[in-house]
Amino acid sequence: MLPAGSLNNRRGVASTRMAKAATLSQAEIERFVERAKRGDRRAFGRLVDEYKDKIYSYVSRMLGDPYEAEDVTQEAFVRAYRSLPRFRGAASFHTWLYRIAGNLAIDVVRRRKRNDVSAFSLDEPLESDDGEYEREIADDTGGPEDATGTRETQLAVRRAIMDLPEKLRDVMILYELQGETYEDIAEILDVPLGTVKSRLFNARNQLKERLQSLVEAGEIEVEQ
Amino acid sequence: MTCVEVRENLVICWGDADELSAEVLAHLAECEACRLEAMLLRETRIMLRSLPDEQAPVGLTEGVLARLADEEAQVGLPGRVAAWFVPQDQPAWARAAAVGVALALAVAGGSVLYHGQQPAGNEPETVVATTQGQVPGQAEYDELLLRHRALEASQALADDPGVTLVTYYR
Repeated sequence: MLPAGSLNNRRGVASTRMAKAATLSQAEIERFVERAKRGDRRAFGRLVDEYKDKIYSYVSRMLGDPYEAEDVTQEAFVRAYRSLPRFRGAASFHTWLYRIAGNLAIDVVRRRKRNDVSAFSLDEPLESDDGEYEREIADDTGGPEDATGTRETQLAVRRAIMDLPEKLRDVMILYELQGETYEDIAEILDVPLGTVKSRLFNARNQLKERLQSLVEAGEIEVEQ
Repeated sequence: MTCVEVRENLVICWGDADELSAEVLAHLAECEACRLEAMLLRETRIMLRSLPDEQAPVGLTEGVLARLADEEAQVGLPGRVAAWFVPQDQPAWARAAAVGVALALAVAGGSVLYHGQQPAGNEPETVVATTQGQVPGQAEYDELLLRHRALEASQALADDPGVTLVTYYR
């Protein structure tokens, strides 16, 4: 049982370090949505520009595969455009986009499970028609000395997140990495606020246990 | 305060001492197991923060817009004509009706133009305007199409966009 009122509107750790700050005001977004509803693809393009990093990073973190994430993100925006006539503005546009993208990402995860390919490793090379190549993990570390350690830690964290049950992973990514609020996550996932909080609580606990076992096994080191 | 209660508090604030109550801090001062738990949570948070931001690949917007343009091209002229008259957020039946009305208007307009171009005394072939705003049945459509093609073959309608719209009824 969580302490009453404990998980309030605090932002996730990533809320202040999202890739790009929003550039459109709410009024502008609403205007572009209305124009896009009338078939204005340029207006929709502005909306894609506005939200592509958010949606891509969410999908990429859900799937752990940047190439698949690109396809899913593109498909999410195409479907959003097709569904715009049904968007009534009850939800905010960005939570609506998240929901479309999340559903598509979950479809991919379930398809993987059916095909028994869920246990792929982020360390394993990707296969393509041109042969195998390494997965690209963005590296924003300073110098070469700590780069290896950080990259290993990043891979371990990503793997630990990927190992979380689907429902916990979703909330963990949306809150901790995407910086969404509890209210928005509840809207995106269509679950009560209390469910979001309890899932986040369980996700943190499970992530801690998984990463701790890796630290204890000496597979990763922690920066103090 | 029990260890279970303290650990719930620790998870909620990632073991951050700044966010803990005096009661929890007092417990931590005496309980090594809970102190360890707090440290593990802080480490987990640090590792989570080590993940870099991710940005969409270059060209994603262009890719989306290209796909939308392709799809729209496949929908064809009726869809675009309908969009002029009825916004996309209207029901499908309204949009379908708009297609019919738009086609009828275009056909009627084309017919008038065509009629005006005919030499006096030569009754124009206005078959494509006989639908009077109604979507024709299959038999009527086939008849219209046949007659239309005959006219096209004679080059009389080759450049008349209003009349050629009839072929979109399928």
